Amino acid sequence: MLDIRNLHVTVEGREILKGIDLVIHPGETHAIMGPNGSGKSTLANVIAGREGYTVTGGEILFDGKNLLEMDPETRACEGLFLAFQYPVEIPGVANLYFLKAAVNAVRKYRGEPPVDAMDFWELVNERMALVKMDESMLKRSVNEGFSGGEKKRNEVFQMAVLQPRFAVMDETDSGLDIDALKVVADGVNALRGPERGFLVITHYQRLLDYIVPDHVHVLVNGKIVRSGGKDLAMELEKQGYALYNEEPGRARRAA
Amino acid sequence: MTAVAPLFSDPYRQRFAAFMTNRREPDAIARLRRTAFDRFTALGLPARQQEAWRLTDLSALQAIAFQQPADAVVDAEVLPALDTPAHRLVFVNGRFAPKLSRLHALPNQALVASLGQALLTHPEWVEPYLDRLPGLENHAFAALNTAFWEDGAFIGLPHGTVVDAPIHLVFYATGNDSAVHPRLLLALEDGAQATVVVEYRGAGRYLNAPIAELQLGAGAVLDYHQVQEESLQAFHLGGVRVQQGRDSQAHLHLLSIGAQLARTDLEALLDGEGAHCSLNGLTLVRDTQFSDIHIRVEHARPRGTSEQIFKSVLDGKAHTVFDGMIHVCQHAQKTDARQANRNLLLSKQAHANANPRLEILADDVKCGHGSSTGFLDPDAEFYLRARGIPAAQARALLVHAFANDSLNRIRLTPLRERLARVLADHLALDIMEAE
Repeated sequence: MLDIRNLHVTVEGREILKGIDLVIHPGETHAIMGPNGSGKSTLANVIAGREGYTVTGGEILFDGKNLLEMDPETRACEGLFLAFQYPVEIPGVANLYFLKAAVNAVRKYRGEPPVDAMDFWELVNERMALVKMDESMLKRSVNEGFSGGEKKRNEVFQMAVLQPRFAVMDETDSGLDIDALKVVADGVNALRGPERGFLVITHYQRLLDYIVPDHVHVLVNGKIVRSGGKDLAMELEKQGYALYNEEPGRARRAA
Repeated sequence: MTAVAPLFSDPYRQRFAAFMTNRREPDAIARLRRTAFDRFTALGLPARQQEAWRLTDLSALQAIAFQQPADAVVDAEVLPALDTPAHRLVFVNGRFAPKLSRLHALPNQALVASLGQALLTHPEWVEPYLDRLPGLENHAFAALNTAFWEDGAFIGLPHGTVVDAPIHLVFYATGNDSAVHPRLLLALEDGAQATVVVEYRGAGRYLNAPIAELQLGAGAVLDYHQVQEESLQAFHLGGVRVQQGRDSQAHLHLLSIGAQLARTDLEALLDGEGAHCSLNGLTLVRDTQFSDIHIRVEHARPRGTSEQIFKSVLDGKAHTVFDGMIHVCQHAQKTDARQANRNLLLSKQAHANANPRLEILADDVKCGHGSSTGFLDPDAEFYLRARGIPAAQARALLVHAFANDSLNRIRLTPLRERLARVLADHLALDIMEAE
């Protein structure tokens, strides 16, 4: 469902991604692991359509459609979701209001009428329980004053309500204690199914104990240097990235 | 003194002579008018050489020979309404329109009436308050208002009187280059409480130059809302004077949406210990609109508190000015005064001037001020778009969040709700859909 072909990306003139090839089928969960500055978040942001990244070569197809031609909202409406590494605080926009606006934007794109208030409330309540979120967080402004764990739970909550077909989790584990990590992983696992794909980006193997991937890729210095099964993550945990990183620190500076 | 621009002053002199002919009113009022007109003549229209008017370009206004307004009839449909029982006074072209007005029973001795009527029936009430408050001494439009006011509203609440229903004052102007100078006198005696909504509306090109004088006795509480939604061809040059007694509370809300050129000068004198003044301003402008707010809050007694939050949203080539002075007198110890000015630019051609100022002569005070001007947060916009919300709606949501913070400070629910709809319309945002 996601088909990345020979993707080259520059940021402010520096090449960050140097030819990525990655194919993810429905029902699959892929993990991308890599050291800081290897280009992990660049990949997530290019998939979601954030400005500031220049694609200099290659393409990304989403169910056969050219993803790079779509603006970010169209990608979301097509069923793509990015769980942000750093969720943005938006003072004055209540979480629930934001979520309903998002749900209705997707429905409008599909030619469906706005969501029924009661149906929406039921869905929200069910999904809130999934990520053990307190109802008071619905009334608060989006992410404003949320702890690191609350922000990440809010990302998974949004994903659970929007029910995308494909989700990119950008370092969703960073800054989480083990309990919060389990909640987030449970939320993701509950959504896994034969029709849905995941790309889990992480620096650490720890997350993959809870979200067990089908495939693991090692991203170093803008290239996938190795791919394998879930055992690859264990191997990396023991050996670190040093084996793959011929020029340590260089990519970090570029990022 | 600045030389008087001949284009403007001579017609004004003729107008004043005509205006004073056949007026039936107490001699004291006529004297007040003549003195004020002399003051206006001496002051002249403000010129940009004057520091306080440096950024306010009145050349478009000066090029127009404004006239006394004609009598006009307006349809009740064009007038703003509050979705709650209110004491309502409507003025068309500065003249009281009894058929459009509605007054309910008031507590004993309380008086809410047109200024003209109040002057006839209760001159002993009105005269001590008219043009008596300090502030705006050098404000030409205040002098012009005292010379030319035809009518306006009088609100007098005796000791301890509480009027629950809002007092709704609607000023509508019908254009044709008329100059309207409505006057509002409000006197809350000790412990009195009132909620006042003043709305300025109109059609076509005109000058509306209202003056409000708000006096609060000890422990009095006033919620005052001024909603300026003038015609986009109009000029609005208003002034507000506030004088507060001991432990009184003035909650002042200033909304500025209309007019090609708008300016409000507000001076609040906290003249009793422990007085509190909150000032909440929201300005929404676009195209080539100019909107200017000049504030002076003077803490004259100890333990006073004041809080100012002024926000502007600017699109197109719009220009706003915020000039805010907090002055703390030598004896006003334990003053706590805050001021914030936040400007949101939606276009690279929009322009916001901010001039927050402090003058502190006391040594045991807490004062703070801050100002910020910037564009929408691109990270927030991307976050909303990444959830499927179209770019235009995402931007509108963010602007709404910025501005709605000001509306949320309004305690009068029917007004707050109506203004929320005005804001949503302004942003072409369907807020109800997501409620």
